[in-house]
Amino acid sequence: MAKQYDVLFRLLLLGDSGVGKTCLLCRFTDNEFHPSHISTIGVDFKMKTLKIDGIKVRIQIWDTAGQERYQTITKQYYRRAQGIFLVYDITSERSFQHIMKWASDVDEYAPEKIRKILVGNKSDEVDKRQVATEQGIKLANAYGMDFFETSAFTNHNITETFTRLAEQVLAANKKDLDLLRMSGNEEINLAALEEEEGLYERAASDESKGCWC
Amino acid sequence: MNRLKKKKQNAGVEVNGNGSVTREPDCGRKQKLAEIHQALINDPVDIETLRRAAGSKGGLLTDELRRKVWPKLLNINVYDLPHKPGRDSLMSGGMRASERAVLQEQMIDIILEVLKYTPQLHYYQGYHDVAVTLLLVVGERMTIAMLDTLSNHHLRDFMDPTMDSTKHILNYLIAEVGTIFALSWLITWYGHVLSDFKHTMRLYDFFLASHPLMPIYLAATIVLHREKEVKKTECDMAMVHHLLSRIPQDLPYELLIGQAQDLFDQYPPSLLAKRAALQPRKSLSISTFQAFQLATLHQRPDSILKRLTKAQGSSTSRQASRYSGLEAALPQERGQLWGKGNRMVKMAVWGLSATLGAAVFAVAQTAMDWGPEALLQLF
Repeated sequence: MAKQYDVLFRLLLLGDSGVGKTCLLCRFTDNEFHPSHISTIGVDFKMKTLKIDGIKVRIQIWDTAGQERYQTITKQYYRRAQGIFLVYDITSERSFQHIMKWASDVDEYAPEKIRKILVGNKSDEVDKRQVATEQGIKLANAYGMDFFETSAFTNHNITETFTRLAEQVLAANKKDLDLLRMSGNEEINLAALEEEEGLYERAASDESKGCWC
Repeated sequence: MNRLKKKKQNAGVEVNGNGSVTREPDCGRKQKLAEIHQALINDPVDIETLRRAAGSKGGLLTDELRRKVWPKLLNINVYDLPHKPGRDSLMSGGMRASERAVLQEQMIDIILEVLKYTPQLHYYQGYHDVAVTLLLVVGERMTIAMLDTLSNHHLRDFMDPTMDSTKHILNYLIAEVGTIFALSWLITWYGHVLSDFKHTMRLYDFFLASHPLMPIYLAATIVLHREKEVKKTECDMAMVHHLLSRIPQDLPYELLIGQAQDLFDQYPPSLLAKRAALQPRKSLSISTFQAFQLATLHQRPDSILKRLTKAQGSSTSRQASRYSGLEAALPQERGQLWGKGNRMVKMAVWGLSATLGAAVFAVAQTAMDWGPEALLQLF
């Protein structure tokens, strides 16, 4: 059986309730759009395999509940991720302002070398726009992140956004990957290897048995 | 988790100390209908028979019976309901363009009304799934009364300012894969994950008649039921989470309900707490349950309630301290909407639940004191 992928990454979608995290994910993995989606409770993920520089990259994209009370649960997933989408809704000034809070949570709970990307969703809703594109660009620059305005509805910039973050994560881990490829591993679960090698400090938590669901 | 043992069932009526219900062998549907009707006109209402009916095969059988029995299970006087909140013209006049808009407004009204009366209650994403299920069966005013009771009892722990209590309750589910896959099952009584409304209603029959932890017992039986699938899946915790959090739509609910009840009888919450080495933690849902169950035993049948409620006026009625101005509302007085096939309506509501969840969340947090006009502009 041909191997299904060369490397596995975990990416995480963060942002306020209702900004369209689940819709972005459904559009990317299933090319579907449900105009009014069911709110996410807790966490869940979808997967897709991309080919980047000849490497089959399987990305596991974790979707999280945006409501604040769920954050005690979702934060447990930060430290296992290699990349994070910080998503706001261009028609909601409030969701944009909250990006700072989300970003500081990521700084606190995620691994240091995690890659981040800023996403302003619902770009099709021109009439309701509250956050100018320039504001997004400015914030992304301040954080040293790439920035995309997307529309899950019109499928604008969706593949581009997900691919870009996957590329960045791949690049950030290139050195480790090359080493491992030379050693001839068939499939590389980057997250698992990092844990084994102790590259990332384990948070002292209740998940000592390696169970992270 | 230990395997379920097939347990012999007693035919008699039995309610144990935890308020759980012992099932009896399936008698004919006709006989069950007759029993339920008889229990409803008994004085006091034969609540134990109603609970048993809600747990046994087919549950409460029809929507009409659910409208009569659900309030009894929660000790609610149908002649003493809160008024429709705010705008009361929602169902009349076709001013509101679509059914969706009507439902959305009703849901928001209902949820805000309940939260307004008990400021300690905090809205959570998923709460609207419970509200919708009730709304589709019993109509707006009864939904407010039922949701109010549920929020102060069965769902109380989920409505703390934080999720700490909820996480603690999930720990009753002894699963090696972590328990977050069952979070939405627990806090929405499976309303969030089931697409067929018929199954949701069947489970609500069961849960309304059971201990607040029963959704956890059902979660355990579902996991056991899917044991083979789980073992076949990749040995990766993420994949197991993925598999478990998707409920197959064709589960044998009657069987699982029976098993959950057996599991509850064999391993009551007190025993489970010891086995799971749970830290003692004050659960309002559990600590107030016994008193709540006892209170349901002294209900008068509707024919007498109607007379009493009118005679006594509002001063002595249960809701009087909270809701002013009472008038009788028969369960049949539902909006014409509900006659159109619940499934369709449920589909429509499902579509709006996310928007609604976000909207209610925002509203509940920031605009509790605004007038209805201001609220309307938000949506």
